[in-house]
Amino acid sequence: MNLKKYLVRALHRLQKGPGYTYKELLVWYCDNTNTHGPKRIIKEGPKKKLIWFFLTLLFASLVFWQWGILINTYLSYNVTSSLSIGFKTMKFPAVTVCNANPFKYSEVKHLLKELDRLIEAALERILQPTPGNSSDNVSPPLDLELWNQIPLVLIDEHDKDNPVILDIFETNQTAGGNETAMGSGTKKKYKLAVKLCSQQGSDNCTYRNFTSAAQAVTEWYILQSTSILSKVPLHERIRMGYQAEDMILACLYGAEPCNYKNFTQIYHPDHGNCYIFNWGMDEEALNSSNPGAEFGLKLILDISQQDYIPYLSSAAGARLMLHQQKSFPFLKDQGIYAMAGTETSIGVLVDELERMGYPYSDCTMNGSDVPVRNLYSQYNTSYSIQACLRSCFQNHMVEICGCGHYLFPLPEGVNYCNNEDNPGWAYCYSSLRSSIKQRQICIDSCKETCNDTQYKMTISMADWPSEASEDWIFHILSYERDMSTNVTLDRNGIIKLNIYFQEYNYRTISESAATTIVWLLSSLGGQFGFWMGGSVLCLIEFGEIIIDSLWITIIHAIGWCKGLKQRRARFPDAPPTVSELVEAHTNLGFQPEAAVPRAGALPPEPGTPPPNYDSLRVQPLGALGADSDTE
Amino acid sequence: AATAPGKKITARLKRTLPVRGPQAPTLSELMRWYCLNTNTHGCRRIVVSRGRLRRLLWILLTLSAVGLILWQCAELLMNYYSASVSVTVQFQKLPFPAVTICNINPYKYSAMKEYLSELDKETKKALETFYGFSEGKSKVRRSVDEWNSTGSDFFQQIPLLKVEDFSRTATDLHSGQKRKIEGSVFHKDSSIVNSGDSNDIIGFQLCDANNSSECALYTFSSGVNAIQEWYKLHYMNIMAQIPLETKEKLSYSADDLLLTCFFDGLSCDKRHFTRFHHPLHGNCYTFNSGENRTILSTSTGGSEYGLQVVLYIDEADYNPFLVTSTGAKIIVHDQNEYPFIEDIGTEIETAAATSIGMHFTRSRKLSKPYSDCTETGADIPVENLYNKSYSLQICLHSCFQKAMVDSCGCAQYAQPLPAGAEYCNYKKNPNWMYCYYRLHEKFVKEQLGCQQICKDACSFKEWALTTSIAQWPSTVSEDWMLRVLSWDKGQKLNKKLNKTDLANLMVFYKDLNERFISENPANTLVILLSNFGGQLGLWMSCSVVCVIEIVEVFFIDSLSIVMRRQWQRANKWWNEGKAPQASDVERQGHHNPVCVDEDLPTFTTALRLPLPQDSPLPRTPPPNYSTLRLETAFTEQLPDTLELGQH
Repeated sequence: MNLKKYLVRALHRLQKGPGYTYKELLVWYCDNTNTHGPKRIIKEGPKKKLIWFFLTLLFASLVFWQWGILINTYLSYNVTSSLSIGFKTMKFPAVTVCNANPFKYSEVKHLLKELDRLIEAALERILQPTPGNSSDNVSPPLDLELWNQIPLVLIDEHDKDNPVILDIFETNQTAGGNETAMGSGTKKKYKLAVKLCSQQGSDNCTYRNFTSAAQAVTEWYILQSTSILSKVPLHERIRMGYQAEDMILACLYGAEPCNYKNFTQIYHPDHGNCYIFNWGMDEEALNSSNPGAEFGLKLILDISQQDYIPYLSSAAGARLMLHQQKSFPFLKDQGIYAMAGTETSIGVLVDELERMGYPYSDCTMNGSDVPVRNLYSQYNTSYSIQACLRSCFQNHMVEICGCGHYLFPLPEGVNYCNNEDNPGWAYCYSSLRSSIKQRQICIDSCKETCNDTQYKMTISMADWPSEASEDWIFHILSYERDMSTNVTLDRNGIIKLNIYFQEYNYRTISESAATTIVWLLSSLGGQFGFWMGGSVLCLIEFGEIIIDSLWITIIHAIGWCKGLKQRRARFPDAPPTVSELVEAHTNLGFQPEAAVPRAGALPPEPGTPPPNYDSLRVQPLGALGADSDTE
Repeated sequence: AATAPGKKITARLKRTLPVRGPQAPTLSELMRWYCLNTNTHGCRRIVVSRGRLRRLLWILLTLSAVGLILWQCAELLMNYYSASVSVTVQFQKLPFPAVTICNINPYKYSAMKEYLSELDKETKKALETFYGFSEGKSKVRRSVDEWNSTGSDFFQQIPLLKVEDFSRTATDLHSGQKRKIEGSVFHKDSSIVNSGDSNDIIGFQLCDANNSSECALYTFSSGVNAIQEWYKLHYMNIMAQIPLETKEKLSYSADDLLLTCFFDGLSCDKRHFTRFHHPLHGNCYTFNSGENRTILSTSTGGSEYGLQVVLYIDEADYNPFLVTSTGAKIIVHDQNEYPFIEDIGTEIETAAATSIGMHFTRSRKLSKPYSDCTETGADIPVENLYNKSYSLQICLHSCFQKAMVDSCGCAQYAQPLPAGAEYCNYKKNPNWMYCYYRLHEKFVKEQLGCQQICKDACSFKEWALTTSIAQWPSTVSEDWMLRVLSWDKGQKLNKKLNKTDLANLMVFYKDLNERFISENPANTLVILLSNFGGQLGLWMSCSVVCVIEIVEVFFIDSLSIVMRRQWQRANKWWNEGKAPQASDVERQGHHNPVCVDEDLPTFTTALRLPLPQDSPLPRTPPPNYSTLRLETAFTEQLPDTLELGQH
C-alpha cells in the first residue's frame, strides 16, 4: 500500500503539471497560454465562450492550412529573375571564322577524282537522255565499285503503286527507253534516290527518296566523300584545308593591329580549318570597353571561291560564329554566313542567363552530372548541350554501327567509318539519324548549362570594296599576301567583317531563390501571429501540455490496470483498490467543495460562469495542497 | 422591505438569466478592463504605468505603433497586385513554327494582262508625258501597244496633278488644265516641304463624288511614290472585282514556287505546304500550317535539320509598276497566328542562300488586374475578321475594316470581308477612295479609337531570327546545280534556269532551348496575410483575435454602454416625474445580499489562490468584474449604484 502510494506520488512529482485531469490541464493551459484565442474561451460568458471556441478552432485550422500552402511553396523552389541592362567592360567573344568549303579543291582533287567523274557521268545520263554519247567512250572506264557501294538510282513513278527502280549505269537500255518516252512530251515522274544496303549485295536495302535531284546528288556526294576523307589522317586533312595566312588577310582589333598568328587553328569536320580569335585557351581573353565599330574586330578574309569543291558545298561565303571563350564552335547550329564581296557588320549584344542549379532548375553547371561521355573534352572545351547531343549520337553510332561518324570526334580505340571496312555504315548511319527514339534518348539524357550566353547579332551588309576603291585594295592585299604584283583576288573571294559591341552590350537575367528558409520562417510566423498571435514558444507550450496529458493518461492507465487486476482478484464485491483509494484521496479536497457550491447554486443559475470555472481552477490546486499536506 | 413581489421576481430573473452586455458599466471602466485583459502589448502598459509622464509616453508609443501598422498594411495592400517575372529555359523537342513563303510579286504579269493592260497603258503614257520616259530607251520588256487617247478613264477618276505650292493651283498633267485646289492638302511623303524648293510636287486629288467641293489633295515629293500609290489605288479597284478562284489561278502554284524542299533530314514536297491567298501577295504557301492537326517538330537543332527550300522567283513575269524589288517574303509564325506578311515579313534575296536561325521565346503576361491584356480577345468589342487566334494586329485591322464598312459602305481590299460587305470598287462605290484616305488619315492619327480599344494579347510566341546571306550557288557549283535544278523543274520547263530566278532558304532552330518568360503574382493571399501578421506581431503582438476584441470592445460594447446610458437617462427622467423616492430604499435592501450570496464562495477560494493574491494590483479580474457586472444588471432599477461602483 505504502509503496503504491509512493509510486503515485513519484509520478505526480515527475509530472509536476498543472492538474490531475485533462479538464484541469486544459483550463490551465487556456488561461496561461500566450496564444490569443484560448484565453477568451475561458474568460467569457457561456455564449461567447462557444463563439470563441469555434473561432479559435477556425483560426487554428486556418493557420495549419496556410502553413501547408507556405511549406508547399517553399518546396517548389521558385525563383525570381532580375534583369540588368547596360554597358560595361566585357570580354570580347571568341570569333570563329571558317570557309564554307572545307578543303581546297586543288589539294583534294586526287582523292575525289573518281567520285567527280562518277557523278558527272551519272548526271550526264540523267540529264541528257540520248544514250550512247561520245563522252563515255573517250574517258577511262568508271570505277563502278565505288558507285556500287552506295548507288544512286532513278525511281520511275509513272505507276504510283509499282514504282520501277532503274539503276543509272547498269540498266542502260530500259532507262534510255523511258527517257525517250519522257522526251516525247509525257509528264516525267522520275525521282532520284540513294540506295543504302546493310551489306553489299544483300537484300536489306532502303531507298532514301528525294523530291529534288539536286538534294539527292549533294547527299550522295557527302556520303561518298565522307567515306573517302575519313581514311585520310588528320594532319593531311589540315594541310589540305585553308591556311591561316591565305585566309586572313588583315586584322585589326580596336586600334591594335593583329594578324593570323593571333588566331587559334582548330580542325572542324564540316568546314575544315577554322580559326578562332580570342579563344582564351592560352592567354587571357581580351576585354572591350568601348561600344561601336571603331573599337571592335575588323577582318578581311579571302575565301578563294574558285577553289571550291563543286559538289560538296553549293553556298559560298565565310562561316563565322561568336561564342564564349573555351567553348567549342558548333557552326552548323549557331554559325552565320558572310557573303563574298560585301562588308558585313555585326553588332553584338550579350544576352546572359544565369540560373541556379538543382533543385531550382534542372540544369548542369559543368556537365559532370550528365550520363553522356563528352567527346569534345579532347579539345579542352567546356560542356555545352550541343557537345552533349553530338557525343550522345557518336556513342550510339559506335555502339550500333561499330565505327564513328566522320563529323564528330572519336572515342578512344574507334575508327571513322569508311566503305571498305564498314560496308553497311551508310545504311546504319541513315537509319540511326532518322530514328526518333535515338534522338529522344539523347534529348532526355542531356541537360542544358546553367549559364547560358547568347550573342545577339544585328547584321547589316554593304557592298565592298566599292567600284572606285576596288583596284587599289585588291592590289595591296594581293601584294601583301605573296609579295608579287599579280592581283590574285577578286570580288568573289573577299569578305570584310566588322564585329563590335552595341551601345548596350549586355543584358543579364539572373535568378535568385524566391523562397528562402528565412522567408519561410517569417511567413510561418506571420501566419501564426496574424490569426492567433502565437510564436514558437506557443508551440512549445502546446508540446508541454501534450506531455502533461500523456502523463495523465499514464497515471490513469496504471490506475485502471490496477483496478482491473484487483477487481478480478476479489470478485464480486471488492474493497477499494489502492488507485481507487488514491483517487478518493486526491478527490478528498475536491468532492465536498465542488459539491457545496453546486448544491447551493443548483438549478436556478447554471449559466453564471465566473464562479463555475473559478472553482475549477482553484480546487485542483487546493486538492493537491491538501494531498501533500496530509502526507 | 416593503417592495412589491413582482419586482423581486424580475430581479431574480435578471440574476438567473445569463448575463449579457459589456464587461464594464462605463466606458472608462470598459477601457480599463480592455487594456488589462487584451492580448496586445502596449495598452496594458498605459494602465499599469505609474506616473503621468510615463503613461503619456506609453500612450504615444502605442498610438505610433498603431499608426505604423496601419501604414505598413496599407503599403502591403497597395503592392498586392504586383507581378514578378520568371525566366525558365527548357531544352526539349520543339514544335516547328509555320513558315509562310510568298513571292513578292502577287500575280503572274503575263496572266494579268487582260485585266491590267488598260491601266498599264495609261501609266506608261503618263510616264512619258510627265517625265519623258519611254520604254524604248531602257530594256524592252514587252511590246508597247499603241495607245488610244480615249481610254483616259483612270485619269478622270483620279487625276494626277502637279502642284505649285504657294499659289495653291495645280496643273493637270494629263489635260494640261490649271485648276484651283480646294480642300485640304495632305503630304503623303513628308510633312516637311522645303518652301524655297522650286521642285514641283506631284500628287493626286481625291474628291467626294456627291459633293465636288470636298476634295483632298495628296502630294508626294517624288514621282516614284506618287505613281506607285496611284497605280496601287487603281490596281486594288480592278482586283476587287475579280473573284477569289480566278485570282488563285492567276497567281503562282506550289509547283511554280517551290523547286526543292527538305525538312529535318528528309525530303518533302508540296503536300507539306498549304495554300493561303493573301490579297496583296497573291498565293502564299505555308509550311507546317497544322492543317491536318499534325504539327511537325524538330528534335535536333542546326541548319541540316530545319527547312531548306529552293524557290523559283520568275523575275521576268513581275509587274513593273506594282512591285519594284525582286525576291520572296517569308514570315515565321505560330500555326494559330495570321501571317501579316506585308507588315512583318522578311525579304529574301535571289541568287543567294538565306540562312535564318531561330530562337524560340514564349511569354505570358498576367491579365487583369495585373496588366491590361486579353487572353482570348473575347472581351474586346471588335469582331475578329480573321479566322485565327487573337493578336493586336488582327484587332487593329478588323477595327479599321469595320470603320471602313460603316463609313464608306464597302470593305478595303487588303483585309478580309466582314459578313454582308463587299470589296470597294469605283463602279459601285465611286467615292470610296476619298473615303478610304480620309479614314486612313484618321486611323493613323488615332482618331478612330482602334488603338484604344485593342489590347495586347497576354501570351505570345516569338521566334527571334538571325538572318545571314551567302552567295548561292557558288561559282564552281553553279553549272551543275542549275542543270540539275532545271531537270527538277524540267517536267514543264525546258530552258536552263537563271540563278537570279532562284533563292535558297534555310530556316532552322539555332538551339532547342525554349525560353519561357512568365509573369507570376508576386503576392498570394497567404503571403499577404503572413505579412500582415508579421507587421501586427512586430509592433503590437496583435492578431486577428485582437482585431475581433477591438471590434467587440470598441464598437459593440461601447455602443451598448452609450445606448444604455441614454436609456437610463431617459428612464431616470421618466421615473423622476413619477416616484423619485422609491428607488433609494430598494438599493440598500437588494444589493448586498446578492453580492454576498453568490460571490462569497468564489471570493474565499480565490483568496487561497497563490497567483492572484501575490499581485498587489487589482489583477484578479473575475471577482472584480463579476460584481461589477452584477451591479450593472440592476442599474436599471438602481441608477445610483452606478456611481458607487465607479469609485
